[in-house]
Amino acid sequence: MNKTRLVFVLVVVAAVVIVGVSLLLQGDDTTLEPEKQELLEVRVACALPVEEWVRGAAESFNAEGRRLNGVPIAVQVTAVDGLTAKSRFDRGEFDPVPTVWIPDSRYLVELVNLTQKQKLGRDVFLTDGEYRARPIATSLFTWGIYSSRAQVLEEKFGTINWRTIYDAATARGGWPELGGEAGWGYFKLVVPNPQRNVGGLAAMVAAAGEYHGTTRIGVEEVAAPEFQTWLGELMGAVTDFSSLSAYSAEDLALFGYSMGDGGQLLESDLLSHMEGIQARWQEPLRIIYPEYITWFDFPFTIWMGQETTAAEKNAALEFERYLLSEEVQARAVQLGLRPVNTDVPLDGEGSPFVRWADQGILTVVPRSSAMRSPDRDTLDTLVRWFELNVTQR
Amino acid sequence: MQAQRSRTTQLLVILALAFLLVTALPFACWWGASRLRTGLAPAEATLRLAYSPEKGELLRALLEDFEAQGLKTSTGSTMKVVAEEMLPERMTAPAVAGELDAVCPDSSFWLTAIDQAWQEQSLDGGTLVGESVRFAISPVVIAIREEVARSMGHPERPLGWADILDKARNDPGFEWSHASTSTASGLLATLAQFYAGAGKTRGLTIEDATRQATLDYVAAVEATVKHYGEGELATVMMALEEGALGLDAFVVQEQLVVYYNARSSEKLVAVYPAEGTLWEDHPLALLESAGLTVEARETFQALKRYLLLPEAQQAVLSHGYRPADLSLSLTASGSPLTASNGVDPAQPQTVLQMPSPAVVQVVRDVWWYTKRHTNVFLVVDVSGSMAGDKLENARAGLLSFLGGMKGDDERVGLVQFSGSVGGMMPLNELGRNRQALAAAIANLNAGGNTALLDGIATAYAQLQGLGDRDRINAIVVMTDGRENASRVGLRELQRRIREGNRDGVPVFIFCIGYGRDADMDMLRAIAETSGGQVREGDLLSIEELYRLISTYF
Repeated sequence: MNKTRLVFVLVVVAAVVIVGVSLLLQGDDTTLEPEKQELLEVRVACALPVEEWVRGAAESFNAEGRRLNGVPIAVQVTAVDGLTAKSRFDRGEFDPVPTVWIPDSRYLVELVNLTQKQKLGRDVFLTDGEYRARPIATSLFTWGIYSSRAQVLEEKFGTINWRTIYDAATARGGWPELGGEAGWGYFKLVVPNPQRNVGGLAAMVAAAGEYHGTTRIGVEEVAAPEFQTWLGELMGAVTDFSSLSAYSAEDLALFGYSMGDGGQLLESDLLSHMEGIQARWQEPLRIIYPEYITWFDFPFTIWMGQETTAAEKNAALEFERYLLSEEVQARAVQLGLRPVNTDVPLDGEGSPFVRWADQGILTVVPRSSAMRSPDRDTLDTLVRWFELNVTQR
Repeated sequence: MQAQRSRTTQLLVILALAFLLVTALPFACWWGASRLRTGLAPAEATLRLAYSPEKGELLRALLEDFEAQGLKTSTGSTMKVVAEEMLPERMTAPAVAGELDAVCPDSSFWLTAIDQAWQEQSLDGGTLVGESVRFAISPVVIAIREEVARSMGHPERPLGWADILDKARNDPGFEWSHASTSTASGLLATLAQFYAGAGKTRGLTIEDATRQATLDYVAAVEATVKHYGEGELATVMMALEEGALGLDAFVVQEQLVVYYNARSSEKLVAVYPAEGTLWEDHPLALLESAGLTVEARETFQALKRYLLLPEAQQAVLSHGYRPADLSLSLTASGSPLTASNGVDPAQPQTVLQMPSPAVVQVVRDVWWYTKRHTNVFLVVDVSGSMAGDKLENARAGLLSFLGGMKGDDERVGLVQFSGSVGGMMPLNELGRNRQALAAAIANLNAGGNTALLDGIATAYAQLQGLGDRDRINAIVVMTDGRENASRVGLRELQRRIREGNRDGVPVFIFCIGYGRDADMDMLRAIAETSGGQVREGDLLSIEELYRLISTYF
């Protein structure tokens, strides 16, 4: 082969190599193939108190390689506080829109529906039928107070409720006046920041219920001047709203009694931190059930807007069934949530409801009055009051 | 024949090249385009992070380990964190300007400040601070030399801010310090004084903070502060370098007490103030600016997960912090949070209530008027060796010093020296001479020898002549060379300083050796004689060094 032919062959070989390498580098790139749906994505916007459980369930669900009509389902979980999610739905800020929303409580779904009905003329979340919102677990608000402090309060007041907590919060002499130690300072109340955690609003609504002696709280009750004065004095016992995270029970555990002697928080949040609190502060919390109880039911709610395909809705239902399965509901119990699957016992082996029974945890909630869900105007009034009177105090 | 073969060869080569071009180019374009579609990213997904200095050692170790894992983003880029040390107060401007992707200040308080600045700028009511995580916390304590603490009744009775303030007011030998309100520990010390002055432990209002009785109380307490400083870590590091604390007490996070005690024979005890303290909660927070890339977000989330891993949390505890992982026992064997290290994991019992951001801002503003004021001379070398970039950067440093002195009541003077002392500007309140000083600094010219000792002696004599005991008296002297023209000798100057500081007013001398030719031994001798400090600076660091020194006043 002469030199000229050699050059020619080398150039042709180089061209073939470049084309071959390009093809290899593409590998499994299917961009030249017709579009086809390879994955059914279920995007879940999840309330903070059930995030750990739902995220864990999503991981095991994905790992099992579940399919719908042969197409694999992938569940992605994003933690969003219920009130924050409601605002984002109202303002159309979700991009992409979640396939599923698990808010803290059903009333948040109703509030979003109300806004969307005004915009679109229809509900975006259904309350009946196959795709209706269904609770996946429940929890309720209880008092969680460091046991040394709870003992002093019970000796002083007999029972612990919002009225006695108000008396403790406003005691000018602090803990010594209440019979506690001087080093404890003043009584410090933990209330989740309602701008970051819907639990803060729930606590204020419960306080209003007890103040007015009713389970139905409206604008008239929360706007009453004497109530607002009372609530303002009560909130004066919160140490620092600026640095409290959305996870108030976590704050209670991390900073201990130095930052909060106790507060009315979600039972599941308290239970999931009991072990850590005991380990870090060498003192458990005492759990006390209030007379006026607020329940969170964490409804699994599928977005019915055009952004969600029928296949995605059905994939979401698959995940919902998975969450309601005995095995996954049992995992919820381990995290302090009350199961909705009645086949799952609350007092099974390793249940925190059994482990912390001595600290006041009850498997059967005593007869009490359940707070009714507040309407949008009531919530708005409370949030505005909070912004003006507490965060800017 | 030869020419025809040559033409044939050329033709074949051209044809071959054309073939190469026609076949390879479309594939190259297709490949390139497809990479772009899938988000061809830079080789590194960089997270720009600013962190406060006190946790530098821990964070750098954690970041090194994080990067060593070689994690990739969804687009295949390597995750990388570019971390810069920054005082919390100074994070706000770059955060709002989109120059940072994440921050890790000493307290969540600064996140509120960032959001406030963002809302003032954006006017849309939104927030800049996004998801965050707390991986290490530490309470603010009063670190007191063990024998001093025992003399005050520790540990038999709980000590508090009132005890420290009483001690400072009644014992002239008691020397204490806290950082300025630019850090969480300095802010706490200041808030505690305002609370004490207002007679409250919660519910501090703007009216409380600005009441004359409160201001008088705070001013009286601040008058006992030896000096302020650039931050809690600097105080500890300086003490470790010098082998002894120049202070009886100072305000720091608990972790630094552990750090100091592990490295020093002199012991500190952490006093958790009976009236209450604050927590440094070291939040790592993402900034949701428009320029935040997907890769930076993924890097942040991976870092967030990493910081909560058991091995990272164990490292947090080993460094003397309280880890966020509650399953790690603070009292287990191997934990450094022990009584022998001067700390008590069961403390603190209570915190001071953090007022609203508006009240805190008033406290920070008012503090400049209540703090212990200063008489400070800037003594500047303008010898021939300072010509060029050296003098230009020194000018920037001097101006940065003036900028750091925010209070108009502070008195600053200027002494320049070369072969002799000249161009002196007497001490005067900055409210009156700030512009004149700036103009004098702008007009500094280099030339001649180095009469360093005469320059210091002149400023020192001025301060002793003034005899102002109410203020901090100090000299900040900078030189790039060796003494060769003074009439006064080193020993004579040291004698004057010793006697003057004993019989007259104490004057602290901060010495800056500028560049490699500075006579560090002489500067160290002068600084030590006066109880001051010596620092080394260069062309790059001189501006920041002057700014840091300004925090002491």
